Amino acid sequence: MSKAVRKIVEESREKGYTEIDLGDKGLSNIADIPGLTQLRNLVRLTLSHNRLTTLPESIGGLESLEYLNVFHNHIEELPMALGNLKKLRYFNAAVNRLSSLPRGLGTASGLEILDLTYNNLQKGSLPGNFSQLRALYLGDNDFETLPDDIGEFRNLQVLVLRDNELIALPKTLGNLTRLRELHLQNNRLTVLPPEMEDQIVLGPSHVFEYIKTDAYKSVYERHVESAAVPPPKREKEKNAKRSRRK
Amino acid sequence: MPVQHELTQNLGYGIGNAICAVCQESFGVDERMVNSNGQILHERCFVCVQCFQPFPEGLFYEYDERRYCEDDFQTLFAPCCKQCGKFVIGRVIKAMQANWHPDCFRCEICNDALADSGFVKNAGRALCKKCNADEKTKKTGRYVCRKCHTYIPEGQHIMYMGEPVHPWHYNCFSCNKELDHLCRKRDTELYCLRCHDKMGTPICGACSILCVPSVKSLFMVIVIMKGKAWLTVKLTTMRYSGIKKNLSIFPKLLFGDVCFVCNKAIVGDVVNALNKCWCVQHFTCIGCSISLNLRSKFHEFDMQPLCKKCYEKMPLELKKRLKKAEQTANRK
Repeated sequence: MSKAVRKIVEESREKGYTEIDLGDKGLSNIADIPGLTQLRNLVRLTLSHNRLTTLPESIGGLESLEYLNVFHNHIEELPMALGNLKKLRYFNAAVNRLSSLPRGLGTASGLEILDLTYNNLQKGSLPGNFSQLRALYLGDNDFETLPDDIGEFRNLQVLVLRDNELIALPKTLGNLTRLRELHLQNNRLTVLPPEMEDQIVLGPSHVFEYIKTDAYKSVYERHVESAAVPPPKREKEKNAKRSRRK
Repeated sequence: MPVQHELTQNLGYGIGNAICAVCQESFGVDERMVNSNGQILHERCFVCVQCFQPFPEGLFYEYDERRYCEDDFQTLFAPCCKQCGKFVIGRVIKAMQANWHPDCFRCEICNDALADSGFVKNAGRALCKKCNADEKTKKTGRYVCRKCHTYIPEGQHIMYMGEPVHPWHYNCFSCNKELDHLCRKRDTELYCLRCHDKMGTPICGACSILCVPSVKSLFMVIVIMKGKAWLTVKLTTMRYSGIKKNLSIFPKLLFGDVCFVCNKAIVGDVVNALNKCWCVQHFTCIGCSISLNLRSKFHEFDMQPLCKKCYEKMPLELKKRLKKAEQTANRK
């Protein structure tokens, strides 16, 4: 533990700072930074570009935290206590090694922006009722399907699903009426559910004009009935991903 | 036409045998003569041909080589205003088969001056364009398009340059799409509803609430002051704090510049980038949370900004993909 980090935390406590930036400090565990998780007034915490493998349960003590950034670490698991951060609005855990999310995260219902890009997440690892969620970043993960619940995130404006293993999209995506950004590239999709016709006028509109037509609807029906085999996984590219290497 | 005359006294021998241009008689030796434009006449002959009175202050009007005093000349020849009955000297408006003072020629309904704005003849009356349109509407219950002179279906008209027209004669200033009756005017240009809403609605400088002019509320009048838009309801609240409670009933923000990060209406400068709007202080690198601006070098990562330093720290494989995506985007 470097003296500099200790000094930053101490100073913040004394002067009541609401922001701490501990980015790129070579940290491997924040549990042994004395006093960090007792900063009740802390609003913004940045821990990006470190070597953290986990976050301690004691992080639940940061009652006022609204903004938490653990971008580019080695985190494999998140603590249940994240759900206690009732004020958390922004959580960035992109470029980590997460393969699941804690159930507790679901109770952090105030979350508005959740960034989980470049992890190893799969279906079933998406908990919670994020009714306030406006942006969900799931690019560079291993989802093959998405839970139907995703249609419940009614406030979603940005949904990034690029570079996953998606075979199909749930019809409930059609409920996301506020969507303004949808990234679907590099998946194993062959068709899109026609239910999305009304909501999505984002991309090249001729694509969506086509989806609206009866011709496409019958193509889609036939595709579902035939239970066609999806394109194969792209093992080689996926294994290049650093987060996958243990 | 007024011509200054010249009284001459006894011009000597050269004109001893001159004769008066009016009565053709010669002059007595001591008689005064008048020289007017080269004609020599008796003083008694230098009078108005109508009333035989000398010209007041020597001012006369000559017409067809005959001299008239001002009153008689106007009576005989000057145009007479149809409105006030007085003579028109100077600029004459000839319209509706009569003469008018510019200031007397007015719309018969709203009494606006027509001399410079033009008029329309409607059942023998001179009307301004607006009253004419209103009259026509009253008669038939429908507006007549100023552009194509056909009737406009009820509720489909728009007012442009003060006159009813079919909206489809115009195109959206922004997307060039043909307009329908839902179009909006902003400054002097017409926009389709979609483009109009996309431009963002001004946000009240005092309370950060959107000014939504389509919501017709008694208090919601937008005032532009100090370069910012203010809802007058807020201005009123400063005086009558009792209205303050009503603020909560206003519709929540639907469009306009809302910050992607804090989800609040942006007061002050807006960073418009990556398909989103941001408060200046919330436009930060998603990696290290450092503050960015549009001049800083950053890479686009899922339509979010990633500063150059953070980009360099990314896994090589991801960096390659980001770079490739950026190149394809640039090529487009």
